[in-house]
Amino acid sequence: MPVDLYYVPGSAPCRAVLLTARALNLNLNLKLVDLHHGEHLKPEYLKINPQHTVPTLVDDGYPIYESRAIITYLVNKYGKGSALYPEDPKARALVDQRLYFDIGTLYQRFGDYFYPQIFGGAPADKDKLAKVEDALKLLDTFLEGQKYVAGANLTVADLSIVAGVSSFEASDIDFKKYANVKRWYETVKSTAPGYQEANEKGLDAFKALVNSLLKK
Amino acid sequence: MSINKTYLSVLHMMNVSLEEEIKLFWEYVKRNAAARSKGNRMPTQPIKLYYLPPSPPCRSVMMTARALGIDLELVLTNIMEGQHKTPEYIKMNPQHTIPTMDDNGFILWESRAIMSYFVNAYGRDDSLYPRNPRQRALVDQRLNFDLGTLYKRYMDLYVPMLFKGEAYNDEAAEKLNEALDWLNIMLGGRAFVAGDNLTIADISIVVTLSNLEAFGFDYSAHENVVKWFERTKKTLEPYGYAEIDQGGAHILASFLKKE
Repeated sequence: MPVDLYYVPGSAPCRAVLLTARALNLNLNLKLVDLHHGEHLKPEYLKINPQHTVPTLVDDGYPIYESRAIITYLVNKYGKGSALYPEDPKARALVDQRLYFDIGTLYQRFGDYFYPQIFGGAPADKDKLAKVEDALKLLDTFLEGQKYVAGANLTVADLSIVAGVSSFEASDIDFKKYANVKRWYETVKSTAPGYQEANEKGLDAFKALVNSLLKK
Repeated sequence: MSINKTYLSVLHMMNVSLEEEIKLFWEYVKRNAAARSKGNRMPTQPIKLYYLPPSPPCRSVMMTARALGIDLELVLTNIMEGQHKTPEYIKMNPQHTIPTMDDNGFILWESRAIMSYFVNAYGRDDSLYPRNPRQRALVDQRLNFDLGTLYKRYMDLYVPMLFKGEAYNDEAAEKLNEALDWLNIMLGGRAFVAGDNLTIADISIVVTLSNLEAFGFDYSAHENVVKWFERTKKTLEPYGYAEIDQGGAHILASFLKKE
């Protein structure tokens, strides 16, 4: 039963899926998407994802996109009972809130600040940077007195957020000045299964991409 | 408690002795009581919801509560007067957003997390948020598309106009139309955004359409969206669509500068 993942290594949302699959000991059939040559805009890709984004998961013919929907799906389907995405409604709700904080606030503000610079040659916007810092302060507050973002256990919320926050290393954002965030980052790097392969490798690719884009 | 005459007459027809009839009757009563209490997992006290009527995510949460029969204690929180930035509010929710929910001491924010929680914790069935992993993934994808793309692009266009008196931005409108086009494609061959039945994904997305309608934004080119919107309005009618969603949208529309 093939589980295909259409991805690019540098993309943070793709790395969140890689981290989750690794934590579940799930083998993914990795399919590199040539964004540079518009592979994602071709009819075959639009059929599985009309929004033509990465990552897209195709599980035995069934397509799913949006990384945070993919990672919760993987646990629901292949990791029943796993602490990665607990079944208890209250515990699950906390993970869900962190995931929506990620897509709607933290990662969004990073993208708003950084992507226009690297992909659009725009100058750095001080107000947008301030918004990223505010989001990091919130993350720091969420982590007060707890090991992981949603409590005592590693969850998909940590995996999604670490994939995004690690990408900040390619920018001028100093997220390690927030004590809880720094501590949490080191913890996840050392406890998330296969972190080197699943995230660090792709992060290096992202940094290399950023360097080449900014050199232009 | 009076004995159900119809039930007894049915048993008579089955030639059962009176003693056995009474025994069977009480067993029937007990089974029904057990079934009723299993479905009755409602919270002990009404759930507090910190809200403001025009806020779109608050409207989604309120309609979901109505659909599930959950009692809410509504706490008006006027963000335009900084009521979300008091020390007490920030202690409860450091992100100081609305809606925020307090379920007998369990605090939660992010409307889509609240709606999911309502169904997971209190839904009598899972139709609003199916447990089947594939069906659930589809709802989750729509919810993420909503927050990360559709609602975001709606805000990018309208927040400057509603709250900063800025002009209509064609580039932002084009991005919103692109998102509506994607929604249109997602609705192809489906009655609701995530399948044949209403889910929390519809309740999350409909509030944006209600706003667009109240603001006079022309989304008529997206035919599936138009049909889905009317269908969803009707489906949400018994859950306060007119009062909660349409009413809230009209309050927001009043903030738009008159041309």
